[in-house]
Amino acid sequence: MDAMTPQTRRTLEFVLDNLVWFMLLAVLVVFSAFVPNYFQPGIFANIIEASSVLGVMSIGLALVVIAGHMDLSVESVAALSAMAVGILFCSAGIGIGVDLQPEWLAVPVSLFIALGVGAAVGLLNGFLIVRWKVNAFIVTLASYIWVRGLVLALSGGRSAQDLAPAIRWFGTQRLGIDLPGFTFTVPLTAWLAILCFVVFSFIMAKTPFGRHLMMIGGNETATFRAGIKVNKLLIISFVMAGAIAGLAGWLLSIRTSGATANLGTGLLFNAFAAVVIGGVSLKGGVGALPGVYAGVLLLSSINTAINLMGLPATSTQVIHGLLVLAAVLLDTFKQTLRQKLA
Amino acid sequence: MSQFAPLLELVDIRKNYGAIEALKGISFSIGKGEVVALLGDNGAGKSTLVKIISGGLEPTSGRMVFDGRDYEARSPSEAKAAGIETVYQDLSLCTNVDVVANFFMGRELTRKVLGIPVLDEKAMEDVVAKALSSAGTRIPSLRAKVETLSGGQRQAIELNRFVHWGGKLVLLDEPFAALGVDQTRRGLEMIRRVAAQGIGVVIITHIMQQAFQVADRIVVIRQGLVAGNIETRNTSPDEVIGMITGEQLAVAGAAG
Repeated sequence: MDAMTPQTRRTLEFVLDNLVWFMLLAVLVVFSAFVPNYFQPGIFANIIEASSVLGVMSIGLALVVIAGHMDLSVESVAALSAMAVGILFCSAGIGIGVDLQPEWLAVPVSLFIALGVGAAVGLLNGFLIVRWKVNAFIVTLASYIWVRGLVLALSGGRSAQDLAPAIRWFGTQRLGIDLPGFTFTVPLTAWLAILCFVVFSFIMAKTPFGRHLMMIGGNETATFRAGIKVNKLLIISFVMAGAIAGLAGWLLSIRTSGATANLGTGLLFNAFAAVVIGGVSLKGGVGALPGVYAGVLLLSSINTAINLMGLPATSTQVIHGLLVLAAVLLDTFKQTLRQKLA
Repeated sequence: MSQFAPLLELVDIRKNYGAIEALKGISFSIGKGEVVALLGDNGAGKSTLVKIISGGLEPTSGRMVFDGRDYEARSPSEAKAAGIETVYQDLSLCTNVDVVANFFMGRELTRKVLGIPVLDEKAMEDVVAKALSSAGTRIPSLRAKVETLSGGQRQAIELNRFVHWGGKLVLLDEPFAALGVDQTRRGLEMIRRVAAQGIGVVIITHIMQQAFQVADRIVVIRQGLVAGNIETRNTSPDEVIGMITGEQLAVAGAAG
């Protein structure tokens, strides 16, 4: 043992465990200082608002990655759910404009459909992976492709517009502090994303289900030997990832007031970036959801800065790529440091 | 005669692989609270025997009596349910979670909050603290992730978990292969404490010194047969080596 006191060690571990929050803070401070017009409530509200779809999608991805698996299909699943909602509840384009009475009924029904579509794909993924022992990467890559194909086939490449006003309401209502001279409000969709993070953070940290997923990600053999129903839990986690992706699709359709065939393209890689930056190890068994939310906010903060600085949007991709690389290197570095601590 | 009440009795256990007889009729017994060191050269049949006891293999013939009942395990989980387990270092721990989580793996204590089962961390930690302290095991922090603990501490957690959840007979295959001198000493002490709680312990080892330090009895397997079954205090390392290799010792027991 070296001369490190338990106190410094605990501090160091705390910093390592919450590194992404410190990074977010640093990034916000730097941008606020150097990017003109960055430091204002409206910008921060915007960052949170822009994080909702990606944030929700990242939750589902994080669940299966923590359990030691992989779900590449979340982006396409979100698109399929959005398209289902779009076709059913849009009145223009390919939308058939289902008219429910009373009007508000469209909200729960569309949400239920979005979740259901996602859960169905998740169930198929989970079943193939667990029962047929097919590699999760391959199964969900296939889903990533065929589900997007289904979206294209359903839409015929066209789009649905003019989402039912009752559903749109979620995208337009804002909630927050609204005082004279100081306004900080974000739309209900963003609150929904935050609520999801709170609920799933709680599930992962405080319930046997979350604990078991974590342990499966750490050592699947050991959990099996201990009598934990590994297969059942893994299938549930894939169903959850699918359903959550469906929710992301629902939010996506609200944001765009409809659905297009290429809706959400590229979200998968941002979700992976957020999950990895958020401290979830792709090896499984490591990571927590609050960190993932910080990762999403970090990406969103950087996007906002790029916009404000008037840099070409293409530079966003380069920066995201570098950020993911940095996150993976950081993960390796953290592991080495932890081994030294041990 | 042994001073231990019988726990597991092996009666004429045979195992054939085709024409090859790996075990040619093994009979011996293990008592409650007894530490038996199983010795033998490579290929003598030790691991076959251990697998039969722990449910990894079925014997060709013979029978076992465990805790007064006929015992036959078709799988490791059946053996485990009966109270027999092989403890492997690392294989049955999740190093990414803390000591408490590992101790309660699959048996978590919960309390209902609005109908949702929520982990009762405080209660679990108390149970683990009690179990470890009564077994004399010291772990710096029960909230430390197992990956930060030493090999010896991990072994201690596994053994204590086994004892706590009603284990009756534990098989340890080369338990100290990866441990340092000090850790090995503590490991041997821990085995004595586990045995003192009435649990049968079988340790498979190559290191004669360890066998003599910890075992009440030494059983030597040679070419699929019991070549020696003797109380540790009535034998010597030289005599045991003779049993393992099959050589007669001209001066057995004469020295000293």
